[in-house]
Amino acid sequence: MSVSGFPILLTAIPLLFAALCPIWGMWKREACFPWSLAGVSATAIITWALVPKISATGAIGYEVGGWAPPWGIHIRIDFMGLLMAVIISSAGLLILFYSWRYIIHEIEETKIPYYYTLFLLLFAAMLGFSITGDLFNLFVFMEIFSITSYALVAISGERKALRAAFKYLLMGAVSSITVLFSIALLYSVIGSLNMLDISKRLGQTPYGVVVNTAFALFIGAFAVKAAVFPVHMWLPDAHSIAPSPISAILSALVIKMGVLGIFRVVFTIYGPAFSSNSILWKNLCGVLSWAAAFSVVIGSAMAIIQRELKVMIAYSSVAHVGYILLGICMLSPRAMTGGLFNIIAHAMGKACFFLVAGSLIYKHNMKRIRELRGIGRTMPVTAGAFAIASLSIVGLPPTAGFMAKWYLLWGCFQKGRYVFAAMVLIGSLLSAIYCFRVVYYMFFTGPRLRTQKIDEVPPTMYLPAALLSLGTLVLGIYSSLVISAITRFVGGLPVK
Amino acid sequence: MKWKKLIVICSLAVLGGLLLFTVGEMPLFGSKDSPDKTHVIPRYLEKGEEEAGAKNIITGVILNYRGYDTEGEVSVIFSALCAVIALLGRERRRLSRSGVDAAGRPTSVIVNTVVKFLVPIILFFAVYVMLHGEDSPGGGFQGGAIVGASIIIFTLAFGLPRSTDRIPVGFRIPLESIAVLAFLSMGFLGMLFGVNFLTFILPGLSSRMAHTVRFFMLSFIEVGIGVAGGIIFTSIVFSMIREDEYELPPNLSQP
Repeated sequence: MSVSGFPILLTAIPLLFAALCPIWGMWKREACFPWSLAGVSATAIITWALVPKISATGAIGYEVGGWAPPWGIHIRIDFMGLLMAVIISSAGLLILFYSWRYIIHEIEETKIPYYYTLFLLLFAAMLGFSITGDLFNLFVFMEIFSITSYALVAISGERKALRAAFKYLLMGAVSSITVLFSIALLYSVIGSLNMLDISKRLGQTPYGVVVNTAFALFIGAFAVKAAVFPVHMWLPDAHSIAPSPISAILSALVIKMGVLGIFRVVFTIYGPAFSSNSILWKNLCGVLSWAAAFSVVIGSAMAIIQRELKVMIAYSSVAHVGYILLGICMLSPRAMTGGLFNIIAHAMGKACFFLVAGSLIYKHNMKRIRELRGIGRTMPVTAGAFAIASLSIVGLPPTAGFMAKWYLLWGCFQKGRYVFAAMVLIGSLLSAIYCFRVVYYMFFTGPRLRTQKIDEVPPTMYLPAALLSLGTLVLGIYSSLVISAITRFVGGLPVK
Repeated sequence: MKWKKLIVICSLAVLGGLLLFTVGEMPLFGSKDSPDKTHVIPRYLEKGEEEAGAKNIITGVILNYRGYDTEGEVSVIFSALCAVIALLGRERRRLSRSGVDAAGRPTSVIVNTVVKFLVPIILFFAVYVMLHGEDSPGGGFQGGAIVGASIIIFTLAFGLPRSTDRIPVGFRIPLESIAVLAFLSMGFLGMLFGVNFLTFILPGLSSRMAHTVRFFMLSFIEVGIGVAGGIIFTSIVFSMIREDEYELPPNLSQP
């Protein structure tokens, strides 16, 4: 079967299902879940169908409206876009499945159709953001996923949720408008919006100052979306107060969009022209890697002192964005491989963490870590999933998190950046403390009674968490396939 | 606290200075040799009318050359509506008494008479703006804003219950997604004919026929954007109206 039309379907199908979802909800509210499940599954199948083609050819393009690149919008799925699309559609499917039972419990019944509509819009926008080859199209999809995430954080309507969403909205809006402003700056001196065309024309532009300012503003704006250290303040509130499936999708996928934005700007747009001769390019990469290293240490340290499970997990996300960004910005092929691999590993581990936290809230309304005594005996699958995922988040073999940190450290040592290596190791040590503390409470404290019965959440809730945690294990054991593909892709980037 | 403010002011001043410096380095405003006017724009200007099918170049760019972006923008508006409905819920018409006094009489006969005459004219103008976007400034978004404004005026004068009687929720919900659906259906129509998504010249038709079909496809999208835009504005305003903001003072509400 020909896959030439598939790239556009990645956004068109979820958008179609989203647009029809409220109409279904008008007829029957229960119909919204199977409807969105159908949309997300169809998209996931299409994404996976693209994998063989793109691994063979490197990248595929699609001219929307039949217009050639600089004039029309060009969708271009390269390896990075494919990686993100596969993670988004697979994790999105599991999280959607989980949210079916959870969300009935958490929000008002009249809001349920709009919950699924927003979910599908968020899903479509993240896919569109990952696969587009056009700078303004990137902004449009960024707007959609930002607006839908603000709404989904606040959807419970509680006071705390509204405040967290408003904080997220303020920082996100500043970041969005900065991206728009930088696109305008770049367009005024380049005259094109297609990423590859811009990168070609950047080499010969006489307007160095404007181009450099746009670069710096892009990095700053996407850093807010990615929640890197000095601008991470919105993340712990928003991610911990949102309904758990939404926390999972925000932590596993939405903050990766900020990372992807930085990657696109640094490597796809500015990389070819700037990597060899621009001081600013190298320096900003250096600044970013320091910010990332501080995110690792500070995120992990803040996670330790938290008493609530979800806040702890949210701070751990700050640390993990740090690992990913450190890998990307250190300009070493090994570290880059580790960073990109950590995108997958962290998506699976962190989604599993939030789903487990959600199951505990659903079943026992447990939010604090101290309340989790003996949960490992009554909810073995949920707690077991948490234990396996925490191995990956800490970075112990044989999980995927280990391979990610191994390559990152390898890159640090190869480049002689021993300070970064030390910071990564400190971060991992701290993460061992905060993760295993929870595992300790779950399995090794509390009453040891023979009368305790197993009392699990419904299978639609524990299966996604268990699958995600098994995923980290399987991906860690069979990592060579993915790692070799990433290494091949990194070989084509301007990193030495 | 004082230090915090000082730091914020200083960093904003540095950022402002940097941006001013950048603006100074930009090509002169309106100069015809600047890169943004010599790379992709000439094709839009020279061939836009025949290629994109609209005398108004901006409409051609919005709907045809960069139609996919507009599909995204329409989805942004739709997401905004979903966000508002998910947070505030649909309108609560029993609570609202705007525009009428305690006995249910209109508050101002003059305002109501004027509005009654104006609303059809405004709606008529909105349809003109929507359909005429091809040749003159205007188009779906502008027309939609005008539709929304006319319904808002009607609501202010006659109150929420009478407005929602005219356009009930069950009627609005399908129309709210019509813009996204118009884009997607036209896109899929092209794909069925074997061309790329959002291509408006369908193969297998004579040149004249293909141009006519393109005109109808583009007009369908324009009207879709307009109707959905207007209805979305209306729904957002309806769900924001609350009783306490419009409650009459006690001396008026007692007969």
